[in-house]
Amino acid sequence: METTSLKKNQTVVDRVVTRLLVDPTLGVLALLVLICLLAAFTLPVFLNGSNLYNLVNNSLVVMILAMGMTVVLVSGGIDLSIGTTMALCAGVSAAAMNFGLPLFAALLAALAMGALVGLGNGLLITRLGLPDFIATLAMLGFASGVLYIWTKGVPIIGYMVPEFYIIGGLTPLAGPLTLPMVIALLVALVLGGILGFTRMGTHFFAVGSSKTGAMQSGVRVDRVRMQAYIFSGLAAAVAGIIMAGRNTNVPADLGNGYEIQAIAAAVIGGAALSGGRGRILGAILGAITLAAAVNLINLVGVPSSYQKIVIGGILVAAVLANRISAIVSGKVRQRKAMVLEGIPA
Amino acid sequence: MNFQRAASRILSTSGVPIVIALVIVIIVFQIMSPVFLTSGSVRDYINNAIPILLLTVGVAIVIVGGGIDLSVGTVAGLSAGTTMWALVSGAPTWTAVAVGVATGLVFGLFNGLMITVFGINDFIVTLATLNIAGGLLIVLTEKVPLQGVSTPGFSDLVYGNFLGVPTGFWIAAIIFVLMQFLLIRTVFGRRIFAIGIAPGAANVAGVNVNRVRLGTFVISGLLAGAAGVLLASRLGAVQAFLGNGYEFVAIAGAVLGGVSLAGGRGSVWAAVAGGLMLATLQQGLRLNGVDPVYFSIVTGLCIVAGVVFDRRIQQLVLGGIRKRSKSGPTPPAPAKLQETHLLGTGKQD
Repeated sequence: METTSLKKNQTVVDRVVTRLLVDPTLGVLALLVLICLLAAFTLPVFLNGSNLYNLVNNSLVVMILAMGMTVVLVSGGIDLSIGTTMALCAGVSAAAMNFGLPLFAALLAALAMGALVGLGNGLLITRLGLPDFIATLAMLGFASGVLYIWTKGVPIIGYMVPEFYIIGGLTPLAGPLTLPMVIALLVALVLGGILGFTRMGTHFFAVGSSKTGAMQSGVRVDRVRMQAYIFSGLAAAVAGIIMAGRNTNVPADLGNGYEIQAIAAAVIGGAALSGGRGRILGAILGAITLAAAVNLINLVGVPSSYQKIVIGGILVAAVLANRISAIVSGKVRQRKAMVLEGIPA
Repeated sequence: MNFQRAASRILSTSGVPIVIALVIVIIVFQIMSPVFLTSGSVRDYINNAIPILLLTVGVAIVIVGGGIDLSVGTVAGLSAGTTMWALVSGAPTWTAVAVGVATGLVFGLFNGLMITVFGINDFIVTLATLNIAGGLLIVLTEKVPLQGVSTPGFSDLVYGNFLGVPTGFWIAAIIFVLMQFLLIRTVFGRRIFAIGIAPGAANVAGVNVNRVRLGTFVISGLLAGAAGVLLASRLGAVQAFLGNGYEFVAIAGAVLGGVSLAGGRGSVWAAVAGGLMLATLQQGLRLNGVDPVYFSIVTGLCIVAGVVFDRRIQQLVLGGIRKRSKSGPTPPAPAKLQETHLLGTGKQD
């Protein structure tokens, strides 16, 4: 009853626009389609099969980072150290191989490093009470310092066994399918499953929406926030392992600038910086949208030195769009509530 | 008990702990390497530190107002770039200075407007402008070689001499005094504290919260512009990555100087002392042959140490208040206070 009376008050166009603005995932999908259409008319090369394939392949590292970032954003935090953690974990896996450890041990070491950095972030935030972005900024400085001192500014090389070419996607698994694609899918399934179907996921949303409310409902807020950072550390480690394979060497500045791309992708995908909102599917589409925009700009012939400016601009635009979406969805909720109470809208 | 109260009062006075720590550190370094306090060495390291000290003050004012500005480092780098660009194009010194300061002003205005008009989270906006300014400098250095300028008077901005002291010191000192006056003695300054402590209450009390917040970002932008001009004057050439990471040192300096990240507490001279502390650590480590890369680790640790110390001080002060007003209602525990405080200042999405 209520919903029909709500629908009667709106035109179809109005409803479609509202729906697009309210549902972040639909919004980013619309943006992606828009970019593709724009590209199809101006630059036919863009829709070329190999270009699209490269585009998706290039977006995978940012995609995995964005998924980890989404978990943190949903729980009301932010992780500025994610790029540096990725570089550090790449370094750990490479150095472990050089040390003579078997492959699985090297990968485990990298994952452990990621979890450790995440735990460190979580402890700084929950035990010392540092604001999230200050703690992770300090961690960024700390981790990059450690990496520089450790490598002495010389890239780590000589660890590339054939398996690493597969891990990095340089040698495809079967046909066009590469291992990073499979890994990204697995990470998406795991994190999406956790966010959507487990108690832990519900707790992430609860803590992100209202810490006080969650605490009063008996959620162990500090532990939940720590878990979120450990997940983002693990995601960074997975991305780092892929990066080590793809780059074939690990320079100390490998992760520079990746944190802003991860945040931008997550925010494009509808994750709210105020917490409590976000989707893994959104992060995936966000990463592809970001890669598509950068790809398009490169195809138009803008030099790659403009990339930083473009990504910064996209981040501002995405946050603005997100803000508008929040305002509209607030209004819609208000209207629904009024209809439910029988007040004419 | 009396001693404890006296100690807590002294230590909770803004800026006192950091000055004590600074003196101790200087004495330690002087013992470790006797060249530390020679006049040339001191002049060098303060000269190097001045641009970052300006950034520290700007960031401190924004933080006191309950915000954060991550863009100051690359904006200073870009301002240095535009200043050099103006000089390379043949502009006189004062025009170039104006161009550099205006660059900072534009970014400060952009940050402030995005935050106040659209209600966007401040560290995301400034993270974005950090990248935009850094990217613009890369593009600028690719287009124009930013060096080889011999405009008369430009290098005198830093290296000139007035009453036996380099002009850079004078410029910085005047700016610091002005900023301290602004923050402590003017209505606008008191309003910055008000919106930093409780924006809602400030609004009810008739403060135009958005306008004051915009003002803090404009000030930080202007100071970043000034820092850029001094950087350009000192270096004589601008590289693509100038200013990267300065925001980190500036925030660390402000936090070390007792500026509370929760907003509403801090002073300019204490922030300067915090910035000097970091510069001293850097210089001391260099003189003792420590690899400069350790400095980023030291800076990270300093942020953590500063915040922990700040919390201890808060607990001491609140403990004192609780003891004095035994009949009154118990104030909330300090840790909780800080948390709700952060929630309160945490802006919309």
